Amino acid sequence: MSPPRAWTVWISVLGVGLLIGLASFVYQVSNGLGVTGLSNTVTWGLYIVSFMFLVGISAGGLIVVAGAELAGSQRFEHLNRLAVVCSLAAVATAAGSILPDLGRPQRAWKMLAQPHLTSPLVWDMVVLAIYLAIGAIDLYILTRVPVSRKALRVMAIVSLPVAILVHSVTAWIFGLLVARPFWNTPLLAPLFISSALVSGTALVVATAWVVERVTPWRAGAEAMVGLRRLLLWFVSADVFLLFTEVMTTFVSGEPDHREQLDVLLTGRLAPVFWFEIMIGVLLPVVLLLLPSTRKRSGMLMAAAVLLILGVFAKRINILFAAEFEPLVGLSPGIPGGRPGQLFRPDEVYIPSWVELGILTGMAAFFFAIVTLGVQRAVLLRHDEPAAGH
Amino acid sequence: MRDPISSSNGADGRVSPIEALSEASRAYGAIDVRSAHPRWGMAVDLERCVGCWSCAVICKSENAVPLGLWWNRILTAGDDLDTPATDEHGDPHLHWVPLACQHCDDAPCEKVCPTSATYINAEGLVLVNQDDCIGCRYCMAACPYGVRVFNWGEAEYPVPEGTGMVATRPVGSVEKCTMCVHRLAEDQVPSCVWSCPAQARIFGDLEAPESRLVQMLESRNPEVLLEEKGTRPKVSYLQPRRRRPIERSES
Ligand code: SF4
Ligand code: SF4
Ligand code: SF4
Repeated sequence: MSPPRAWTVWISVLGVGLLIGLASFVYQVSNGLGVTGLSNTVTWGLYIVSFMFLVGISAGGLIVVAGAELAGSQRFEHLNRLAVVCSLAAVATAAGSILPDLGRPQRAWKMLAQPHLTSPLVWDMVVLAIYLAIGAIDLYILTRVPVSRKALRVMAIVSLPVAILVHSVTAWIFGLLVARPFWNTPLLAPLFISSALVSGTALVVATAWVVERVTPWRAGAEAMVGLRRLLLWFVSADVFLLFTEVMTTFVSGEPDHREQLDVLLTGRLAPVFWFEIMIGVLLPVVLLLLPSTRKRSGMLMAAAVLLILGVFAKRINILFAAEFEPLVGLSPGIPGGRPGQLFRPDEVYIPSWVELGILTGMAAFFFAIVTLGVQRAVLLRHDEPAAGH
Repeated sequence: MRDPISSSNGADGRVSPIEALSEASRAYGAIDVRSAHPRWGMAVDLERCVGCWSCAVICKSENAVPLGLWWNRILTAGDDLDTPATDEHGDPHLHWVPLACQHCDDAPCEKVCPTSATYINAEGLVLVNQDDCIGCRYCMAACPYGVRVFNWGEAEYPVPEGTGMVATRPVGSVEKCTMCVHRLAEDQVPSCVWSCPAQARIFGDLEAPESRLVQMLESRNPEVLLEEKGTRPKVSYLQPRRRRPIERSES
C-alpha cells in the first residue's frame, strides 16, 4: 500500500521546514546573534515570543485530561490522547526555542551543571522538565488497554498544580523584573494562565478538526461542544484580566508603567494590540456565540485559529511593550551593538530572515511531533471501532 | 580565583601601561585609602561634569570595548545629543548623566543569571565571568539602567589588534563596566576617574570613612538613579548646589 499523495506532500513540507530551520540555526551559530534583528535595546525577540507562546499553548492537554478527570466528566475521553500529544509537542518545541536565543548555545549545559537557584530561568527549566515527564507518563497510561482510571486520577492530581506552576514560573521570568514595569505586575502570572488556557484549548480544537478530516479518528460532537464552552469561559477570564490590568495602569499606573502601556494603546505596537483585541478576541467570540455560526464545526475551527493568533499577538505585545521603552531612556540611548551603529534612541525591531528561518524549523518540528504522535498514539487500532459520528 | 577579567590582565602579551607611568602620574591615579575589606564605590559630581565624553572614550580603549558597544556613555536631557533640553527661559538646560554599571548592592542582573556568570566579588563589584556566560541576555532584561551590552558578532576595533589592557570577550557573551577591576589590583583608580578633565568622578572605598568619596557623599547631596527600584547602587550622583547661579535679568 503506497502512502496517499497528500501524506507525501505533508512529510516533505515538514522535512523542508526542518532543513530551513537547521540551516538558519547553523548560520546563526557560526556568525553570532548579530544576524538577527535584535539589539542591546530589544535583546529578546521572536525566539522568546515563541517560547512564551509555546509554553502557553501546551496547556490544552492537561486541561482536557486532568481537568475532565477531576471533574468526573467523560465527554473528552476520545480527545485525551490527541490533547496530550499536542501538549508534549508544544513543551518540547518550547524548550527547544530557548537554544537559538542563547549567544553561546554550546554552553547551555552550564545551566544544568551550575544552576543559579535565584534565577527564574532555572526554576522554569525544572518545572518544564517535570511537565514534559508528566505529559509522557499521561500518554503512556492513555495508550494502554484498558486505560487505568486510577493512574489517570493520580496523574491528574499531580499535573494540575504543576501546570499552574509552569505558566506562573514562565510569567515570573518576566514578572519579577523591576526593570520592566509593564511585566512587573502581580497579574502577569494569572494572565499567562488564562492565555495558556485559551490557546491550549484552541489548539486541541484545531488539531482535532484537522485530524478528523484526514483520518478515521473522531473526537465526537459532544466533546467539541464542550470545548466550545470551555473556550468561551477561558476567553472571558483572559479578557477580564487583561482589562483590569490595562484599566488600572491607564487610570492610576506609575508613569513608567503607563509609558509602556501607551506603546500598545497608541504607540508603535498599537496595530498589533488592536489586532489582538479585534481579530484575536472579539471576532472569535462572536463566531462562538452567534446562533448562525456556533453550530458549524468550520466556524469553531476558524474561531480557534483566530484565538491562537490573538494569543500570539498578545505575547508579542507583552514582550515588546517593555523593551521598546527602557527605563533610562535619555538620549542618546543604548549602544546599537554592531560596528558602525552608534546609539539607538528609538529602537525598532524587525526580525531577520534567520529568525524567521529558525521559527519555520520550530514550527516544522512541532508539527512533526504532532504528526508522529497522531500516527503512533492517537490512531490506535483498539480505538477505531469507537470512531464514528 | 574567580576574577577572570583581572586575572587575564596582560593577556595577548600586553603589559599594563600603569607600570610605565611616571611617579607623578601614578601618584595622581592612586587610590586614596583602602580599608581592610574595601567596598568600592563612585560618585559623579554633576556640578562639575561638562559632558565631554572623555570618560566614555577612555573606557572603550582601556577595556577594548568593540566598535558599536559602550560600557559608559553620557546621557543628556533633550531629544538628541546635539539638541539639549531647554529651561523655562528657553536657555539650554545643560545637564549630563554619565552612565555605566551602577554596581548595585542588590543587583537584579546577578539574581537572574542562570549560571552565576554574573557574580558579585568580595569587594562588592558586579562582574561577568565570560567562561560561564551562555548569552541568554536575561541580565540585560533585568538591569534597570540599560548598561549591559552583548557581543552580537566578531568584534571589530578601531585598530586591528584592539586596544585595551584586559582580555577581549567572546562572541555571544554579555559585558559591561568592571569598575576597571584590573586597575584596582594595581592600586589605581578606574580609567574614567583618572581621565576626567573636570575631575567630576570620585572613586573610593565606601568602607573607609576618611576616603574622599565618603566625605563627599556626606557633605553633598548624593542621589542614586532609580532609587525606587531598590537596587542600592554603589554609584551616586552629586547634585549641583546651584542650578542657576546668575539670576536672569528680565528686560
Ligand atoms: S547597573 Fe545593571 S548591570 Fe550594573 S549591577 Fe546594577 S543591574 Fe547589574
Ligand atoms: S547573558 Fe550571561 S551573564 Fe547574562 S544572565 Fe545570561 S548567562 Fe548570565
Ligand atoms: S570604571 Fe572602568 S570600566 Fe567602568 S566606566 Fe569607568 S573606565 Fe569604564
